[in-house]
Formats: sequence, structure tokens, C-alpha cells
Amino acid sequence: MRGAQRLARGGWPLIWLLLLLGLALGMESLEPLFRWLEPDSRQVIYQRADFLNLLGRHLLVVTLASLLAILLGVSAAVAVTRPGGRDFLPLLAQTASMGQTFPPVAVLALAVPVLGFGTLPIIVALLLYGLLPIVRNTLAGIQGVDPAVGEAARGMGMSGWQRLWQVEMPLAAPVILAGIRTSVTVNIATAALGATVGASNLGDPIISGIVNGNTAYVVQGALMIGLLALTVDSAFERWQGRLERARAAAA
Amino acid sequence: MIELRRVSKRFGAETAVDGISLRVEKGELCVLVGTSGCGKSTTLRMINRLLEHSAGEIQIDGRPVQAFDEVQLRRRIGYVIQSTGLFPHWTVARNIGLVPTLLKWPRARVEARISELMALLGLPRDTFGDKYPDQLSGGQAQRVGVARALAADPDILLMDEPFGALDPITREELQEQLAGLQSRLHKTIVFVTHDMDEALRLADRLVVMDRGRIVQQGTPLQLLRDPASPFVESMLGGEDRGLKAAALIPVSERMVAPGAEALPRVAVNASLRQALALMLSARAPRLSVVDADGRVVGELGLPQLLGARAP
Repeated sequence: MRGAQRLARGGWPLIWLLLLLGLALGMESLEPLFRWLEPDSRQVIYQRADFLNLLGRHLLVVTLASLLAILLGVSAAVAVTRPGGRDFLPLLAQTASMGQTFPPVAVLALAVPVLGFGTLPIIVALLLYGLLPIVRNTLAGIQGVDPAVGEAARGMGMSGWQRLWQVEMPLAAPVILAGIRTSVTVNIATAALGATVGASNLGDPIISGIVNGNTAYVVQGALMIGLLALTVDSAFERWQGRLERARAAAA
Repeated sequence: MIELRRVSKRFGAETAVDGISLRVEKGELCVLVGTSGCGKSTTLRMINRLLEHSAGEIQIDGRPVQAFDEVQLRRRIGYVIQSTGLFPHWTVARNIGLVPTLLKWPRARVEARISELMALLGLPRDTFGDKYPDQLSGGQAQRVGVARALAADPDILLMDEPFGALDPITREELQEQLAGLQSRLHKTIVFVTHDMDEALRLADRLVVMDRGRIVQQGTPLQLLRDPASPFVESMLGGEDRGLKAAALIPVSERMVAPGAEALPRVAVNASLRQALALMLSARAPRLSVVDADGRVVGELGLPQLLGARAP
């Protein structure tokens, strides 16, 4: 039982990754299955671009948007927990919440006239949509640090930067990481919307399948996105587990 | 040396500390005692500028605290708080080495200092150095807190109810350890507590505070003999005062030359309170005073115990 658990903990990211790559390279070999699903269509495997290429673009968009969201979200949350920025804390919390209630589709619709078609609008939409979990968790992580620890750090003569980097961030890290995990995983799914504004990614087969009434295409896109989300999510889970074990190392 | 002159602290409309003046000499252990909300912790936190005072002047070694950079100031003042505030993600050794590391001591010197302090506080480094704070008992954690405060060998130590969260037995152990340390290290210590017995046990000078003001200060015996107000008297335990005072005076101070009689024995370094307890339990009006080797060095009778002149 424990052996199986250990295998699962270590192995899941790898298993999902292998499935994902296998599917990207060998979608054709599943043709009979999709033929059965969609017997009337001329083509049952999405052909306009190869899946590996779409996967790469999908990842690129999500990575870029997530890195920006982490950079912006974490630094904003850090800024409003400093003595000088405390007045802006409620404002930031509200703005981040609004970012998430605003549907990404609406962001796309508004962004296209300004930024044009392509990858840029979807990056903006994902960035806004992904900010909330990061901001919220960074705030919670920093505010969750035991006040006595902060008081001692100050009383011992640590400067503001030293307190941030040596005390607050390491203690808040597991909570911040959980926020990043949520943000990235959600954005992997949301990024598919980019296909509607010409950012070619794993959303392409889905949109094309919907437009042409081809369920097989939809399933292929959805499978790829699902596997990508599982791969990344399980990798994050493993990382979080490692962080927590490091914390509890000697316990 | 720490000196406060007519220092006040206001939080909005509320005055937490109201024009107090206090001088703590070098090497003196000064205990601020009072009920919660009397301003004693606020006073302490103004000394290392965790709080800025609203009026008056605070000087350390003759220099106003505002003249120091606040971060540099705190690095040269040890600080111990009730909840320890140890960093949970750092080992005990790293926690203790915090201030020397901030002061950029060479690594080898920091390591040597950590080992030295852990030995001093009875926490062998081999056993405790690599543990994390949540693996320690309350008493051990607070010892680490004291070691951390002493790490850079500061002249001044501020202690904010350091033993308040410990069980009575551990608390007494740590009080004894602190008294022992202080007799060797001679730090200038400001110690805040609401526990009068702790205050009487540790203080060179006792400062009783009430509603932001100092109501009386002096040695523990001065206060016990002559409380300035009913408030101080009640803080000192009312009718128990006599016993508390007796606990502070050693038998050696009152004994007279020994006679030849065999009497119940009391140690020379015991307190008058212990001697009285022995008289009561042995139903003896006189005791033989013996030294550590069991030799009779004097005699103590009820009249001497009560402070009457020897006949």
C-alpha cells in the first residue's frame, strides 16, 4: 500500500506526460475509435496542424501569461502588505476579485479591437483571469505568518527586505504555490478560448469541431487539454508535497 | 544604561504611557510589574523603537534612541518575547545565530558562538542544534529565545513576559537560570511581568506601574517594607508581604554565634522564610545554621528572625 502510494506520488506527473506526448504523436493510431465516434465525417483526425505544434503554442501562451501573473500578483500582494502600501490592500483584493468575475470571453472581445487578433489578447485575458488566486493566496500566506515571528524578526533588527525574503516569503511559500497551481491549471483550460481570436493552440480542434459539427475534433482537443492540465497539476502537487516535507523534515 | 525622561505614548486619544521617568543602571535587572494594560510592555517596546514614543526622551548610554538607526539599535539590544517568535522554518542553531549573521560575523565565529550559548543554556548542540522550534518543549523554546537574544553579546536585554506562558515548575527553573546567568554576565536588563513573585525573585529594582504611570520603584525589600499605596500593597500580596520579604533575606544575614545545643538544622544560604517554615514544622524556636559541609556556623532564633537586635 505504501509502495503504491509512493509510486503514485512520484509517478503521476510522468504518467500523464507520457500519455500526453503519446497522444500528441500518435493521434492517428486512434482513428478507428474516432471513426466510431464520428462515422459520417470525411476526416476524423484533426489535420490542420499537428498536435505537438498546438501543444507547444498552448504551453507557451499559458507559461507567458502565468509568469506575468505571478510577477504582477506576487509583487502587488507583497507591496500592499508593506507598511507604506497597506492603504491599497482592500483595493487590490477587490480588483483581483473583479478580474476573476470578468469572463475571459468578454476580455477577449474587448481586447481584440485594441490588440488585434492573435496571441496577445489571449495572454492579456489569461493574465487577468489568473491574477486572483495568486494575489489572494500571497496575501493569505503573508498575513498568515505568526505575528510573534514578525515581531521577533523586527525586534532582532532585521530590515524590511530581510524580513520579506528570509521570513515571510519562505513561510508563505506553500500557500503562494497553491495559488499559482490553481491559476496555471485553470488557465490551461481557459487558454483554449484563444482559438476564437486566431491564437492557434489546443483550442483549435475544439472550435473547429464545434463549427463543423465534428465531435471527434472536439474530443481530441479536450483530451489533450485535459492531459496537459493533469500533467502540470500533478507536477505542482509533487512540488508542494516536497515543500511541506522539507518543512517537516526532522519532525 | 537606559534613561527615560517624562516619556509618554499616546495611541490616538488614549494615553498608554503617561510621563514616566526611569533610570536603569548598567548591570541592573529592572522589573516592570503591573496589571495588563498598565503600559509596561509599551514602555519596553519604546526602548528598542518597536514603538516610537510621543513625548519625552529615551536615552541609551547617554544618547537619544532616535540618534541610532533603528535596525542597528535593535541588533545591539537583546529582545525576548513571551511567544518566543522563533522562526519555525529555521533550525534551533540557525535561530540562535540570527543576529551575529545579520551583523556579518565570520561564519566560524557565529558557529562557535552558537555552540557556546547552547552549552550555557543547557541545550547541548549535538542534541538540539538541528531540531526545529516546534520539536521543543515550551521551556526549551524559551531558552533558545534567550540564547538568540544573547547571541551578539548585547549590553542590554529587553524581556517581555518571557516566562509567562510556561508551567510553574519550568518557569521557576528558567527564573533561576536567568538569575544565575545575570550574576555572571551583568547585563542591563529590563524585564516585564505581571507576576509579582517572579518580579520579587529577579529584580534588583522593582518598578510598579498602574494606568501608564509609575506608582512606586525601589528594591524589592524597600517596596515590601514600605508600600506607597494600597494598590502597591495589594499587588505585593497584602498580608503575605511579610513572608515575601522573608523569602528575600538569607539566614546568614540574621544569624548569631552558635551555642553548644543540638538544634534542627537550616542551611546558611536558605531564606528566612524557609527557616520560619522549619521552625513551624519542627516546633523549634531556635535553629542551628550549617554550611554546605554540614558544619555549624551559627544559630538563628525567633527574635533574630523577626529582626530584633541580638541580645
